[in-house]
Amino acid sequence: MANSEPDAAPAAAESREPDTPRGSPMAAGVLAWLVPGAGHMYLGRWGRGILFLVLVLTSLGVGLALHGKLWRVAPGQPLSLLGTLACMGLGVPYFVLRFLMDYQGDLVAQGYEYGAAFILTGGLMNVLLILDAWDIARGVKE
Amino acid sequence: MSHFLLMVLFALLVSVFFAALWRRSPRDQAILFLQLFLGMVGGGLLLAWLMYPFPSGPPAPIP
Repeated sequence: MANSEPDAAPAAAESREPDTPRGSPMAAGVLAWLVPGAGHMYLGRWGRGILFLVLVLTSLGVGLALHGKLWRVAPGQPLSLLGTLACMGLGVPYFVLRFLMDYQGDLVAQGYEYGAAFILTGGLMNVLLILDAWDIARGVKE
Repeated sequence: MSHFLLMVLFALLVSVFFAALWRRSPRDQAILFLQLFLGMVGGGLLLAWLMYPFPSGPPAPIP
């Protein structure tokens, strides 16, 4: 009777072993920021990584189609810093839009504010993905 | 695109995102997706219905 308890503990410990390899948390976080979903792909979560990539890029694409605002820091408007940081969460797409394409959005477009909400949401989604990839790489999450 | 369709699209994107981020099993993901999606769309429609009696007024001037 007493032998059944010690046998169960190693079996339970083995069942908690990760089934996929983990990588560096820093690399996962940086990759996740640069390209949405890349952190998860780096950690072997290809399906979820591709899904997240599609979701973030779709949100950004809808925002661009509506000519939404891409936030920039405006002097005397401290809240613009938060909007800019949220948009910068998009990673490479933000810098391409801002510095290579000089995209700002169309102030008089009907979808200017709606588009801004979609662009901000895409950036904030990616910020959460950075944290998720970081936690997965550290072994805190599966 | 109408405001309603944009709201549905927004709710769809956010619901799928959080269902995939916060849940692992397909069943749990489907349940959370439905809760979030129906909550957002239903909540939006409820707010719209509550605001229906109020006049919308003239459009805001473009700054």
